[in-house]
Amino acid sequence: MLRRTARRDRLAGLFAAGVVLLNPPILNLFGGTIAGWPILYLYLFLIWALLIAGMAFAMRGSAAPVEKPGPRS
Amino acid sequence: MTQGLIITVAIGYLLMLFGVAYFVEHRARGTRLAGSSAVYTLSLAVYCSSWTFNGGVGRAAQTGLDFLPIYLGPTLAFCLGPLLIRRMLRVSKANNITSIADLIGARFGRSGGLAALVTGIAVIGLTPYIALQLKSISNGFEALSGTPSHTPGPIDSAFWAAVILTVFAMLFGSRSIHPGEHHPGMVVAIALESVLKLAGLTVIGLFVGLGLFHGFGDLFARANAVPDIAAIFSYDPQRYGFSWISMTLLAGLASLCLPRQFQVMVVENVNEQHLDRAIWQFPLYLLAINLFVLPIAIAGRVLLPGNADPDNLVVALPLLGGQPALALVAFLGGVSAAASMVVVETTALSLMVSNDVVMPALLRIPALRLGKRDDLTRLLLWVRRGVMVLLMGLGYLYMRRDGAQFALVSIGLVSFVAVAQFAPALIGGLFWRSSTKAGAIAGISAGFLVWCYTLLLPALAGPGSFATDYVANGPFGIALLSPYHLFGLPGLDPVTNSTFWSLLFNIAAFTAVSLLGRQRPVERAQAAMFIDTDNPNEAAQIWRRTAMIPDLSSLATRFLGRDRADAAFAEWAMARGLDPKTAVRADAETVLFYERLLASAIGAASAHVLVGALVEEEAIGVDDLMRILDETSRIIEANRRLEDKSLALERATEELKRANTRLQELDRLKDDFVATVNHELRTPLASIRAFSEILRDHPDISDQERGEFLRIVIAESERLTRLIGQLLDLSRIGEGGPAVSYRPVDLAAVARDSAFAMQQVFAGRGIAFRTRLEAATAPVLGDHDRLVQVLINLLGNAAKFSPAAGGEVELGLRRLGDGFELTVADNGPGIPPADRETVFERFRQLGDTLNGKPEGAGLGLAICRGIVAQHGGRIWVDAAPSGGAMFKLTLPAMAEPRR
Repeated sequence: MLRRTARRDRLAGLFAAGVVLLNPPILNLFGGTIAGWPILYLYLFLIWALLIAGMAFAMRGSAAPVEKPGPRS
Repeated sequence: MTQGLIITVAIGYLLMLFGVAYFVEHRARGTRLAGSSAVYTLSLAVYCSSWTFNGGVGRAAQTGLDFLPIYLGPTLAFCLGPLLIRRMLRVSKANNITSIADLIGARFGRSGGLAALVTGIAVIGLTPYIALQLKSISNGFEALSGTPSHTPGPIDSAFWAAVILTVFAMLFGSRSIHPGEHHPGMVVAIALESVLKLAGLTVIGLFVGLGLFHGFGDLFARANAVPDIAAIFSYDPQRYGFSWISMTLLAGLASLCLPRQFQVMVVENVNEQHLDRAIWQFPLYLLAINLFVLPIAIAGRVLLPGNADPDNLVVALPLLGGQPALALVAFLGGVSAAASMVVVETTALSLMVSNDVVMPALLRIPALRLGKRDDLTRLLLWVRRGVMVLLMGLGYLYMRRDGAQFALVSIGLVSFVAVAQFAPALIGGLFWRSSTKAGAIAGISAGFLVWCYTLLLPALAGPGSFATDYVANGPFGIALLSPYHLFGLPGLDPVTNSTFWSLLFNIAAFTAVSLLGRQRPVERAQAAMFIDTDNPNEAAQIWRRTAMIPDLSSLATRFLGRDRADAAFAEWAMARGLDPKTAVRADAETVLFYERLLASAIGAASAHVLVGALVEEEAIGVDDLMRILDETSRIIEANRRLEDKSLALERATEELKRANTRLQELDRLKDDFVATVNHELRTPLASIRAFSEILRDHPDISDQERGEFLRIVIAESERLTRLIGQLLDLSRIGEGGPAVSYRPVDLAAVARDSAFAMQQVFAGRGIAFRTRLEAATAPVLGDHDRLVQVLINLLGNAAKFSPAAGGEVELGLRRLGDGFELTVADNGPGIPPADRETVFERFRQLGDTLNGKPEGAGLGLAICRGIVAQHGGRIWVDAAPSGGAMFKLTLPAMAEPRR
């Protein structure tokens, strides 16, 4: 139960971070190009990828069935 | 490329997909593929329609990166998946929910009206979205075949696309009624299409980057050389504003509220665990499919400047590069995206319309006697097919009316704003207990009306003097009501303007009406079921409904077929411990089971109507409340009685304790008594024996001595005799036996007799003895001799304790109330108050033991008290006026002869 709540809190934290980082006005700080590549394009996909990695990390190990009723009895 | 070839390939491709679906449903049902989490995740990617495939690129070519919020929104929404989506899943599974209209309707008191409202809005709201798909296919087809984009006449390529897609939607989504509306074949086909979409866009992206340019660096470098494009990426602190935020919000809400997303995410979900992976894998898919959108768009701007339709770049670029096969792949990718969207969306919408609007309406018309028809599955299927045709027709008409004006993304956003109106009621319903049905209806209606006014009407208005005027300046020139700048709000694009106002009115109406209104008991019960418990089955017994099982069974048979209905009930009966053959009356849980079973085929609203016709429903009324109150008060009453009993028990315990102490005291007294008797009897016996032995063993003792010894022996024998007599008296009194013969006795005579008997004793001791008899006669009931015995005893004591010189003893008799009082007073040392009660105990000897052995064994007063008690009187001791002791005894006067 504790683990599930912790996971939920972590994802909520990621949600908040994502809302802030992937929306204006933070977004508007990134403009122009670096080595010819648009900085905003790189920034958005980088943050997006990190966000997904964070979600995968928070959800890790949960694919194993936790509440599977085993044939114990 | 000829039209015939393109159409053949496209239809062949769709047939291949259908073949996969057919194979899955008939050959590989329940295999690992159909129920795997990968398929679940890929099926969620139905979110990426041709909007993504064609429209995203078009948008990126025009405005840069703001196609991305449409995918960032769902990513953020899925961050909240464990909270939000999991609850949607659980509640939906427990109630056999088949659509989002079902869910919202079920949440608010199983309201058919609300479900129908949601359905209506979904149909109207999604019409532009379907139009978008048709337009996209027709655009792609025209780009690929090189025909002009506007064919004259009513029949164009979009029409044929609509026809073909309708047929496939019917094939996929309405071939038969599935239990729980699971379409495993459709889901696998969608997943396959998602793979092809991703592969198609990636291949085009790689081709553009590596085939048309020398790598992506080269692509961006050349793009920077074009001033228009460079401007898109330049630093501008004001570039993205509310539009970005509102698109993120819309997309996040749409990923939860779109009927097709709900269908694949909730209805088609076979295992809750799949969600755990999909939560991050679905955003990953979105990221992957968007990776090359910007490069393709930029390449289009660089290579095809000016006149080309940006929404066609995916097809146009391979053609430009001389790769018609690749263009065909791109076209098929677009067809894939459109087809999967159309199939799932129309399937979901047709379920909603047939389950939440048409069937409940038809079932309510008694003339049709639908409730009595034997096989309704066929009717149900035809209703759904009809709805699909209708939806595609609407989509086509919308496209014809509006198609020239909007880019794909803009058309899609119109739909997003419409479905976002469900979000407040949906999310509020899942988490806010006090939200009411009236609030949900008010919120959704308000949001929908604002949407119609600010987005739908202007889109449909088209060119024309009044319409143009209305959009630009507001109706009748009222600028405040201008649809794109409602209430004069400046600086927002139409979609953002509509999003803001519609959601504002929606949420405000939803919360205000909920807060002001009151929930009905049924609503409150449903709310508790949706919000409180992880196991929503627990709330089942809130409705006390009952029905006949055969009725329910035949109802279920009509919609599900006999085998499936019987099997489901057998399983249920086994779990409940019922005998399927003998059970006749269904309890509330069984009724709910049947309703949910039916809901899995025809939706909660229809099932509720059908089952409602069979059951006798008892609302929670005053009676129930009174019964509950009654039970409560009964419990309180029982509690109170228990308290009383425990108090009584406490008292009894106290009494027992006291009795126990008394018993221990009596026990001790008995021991004392035995010891004393033993001593009193042995003492004279020992002296008798001693003197008798002396007399026997010494024949030569003097006669004087012999006489003295014999006198002692006789005295001791008398003492012994007296003692034994007293003991016998005492035991007789103690037994309470008939020792007293009650006869009329004159107490005055008793006093005179006693005084006469004791006269000599007093005279011998030189004690002045007086009698003061104030009553001439004092008749009582009793034993004359016994009473004389009492008085002689008392007088003897008085004589004993009176001083040798100047002793005075007085015997008195007087009337006292309805009785008589005898007093014996002396002027001796008296009895201290502490001893006045103990003198009446056995073997209590007052007086000075140093002065030799007092006469008597200490039983006299105990015997007196016993005798007086037998006469119903009382004896006690007081201080005499002269300072000595005064014994008083009262006896009741003789009222009438007793027996």
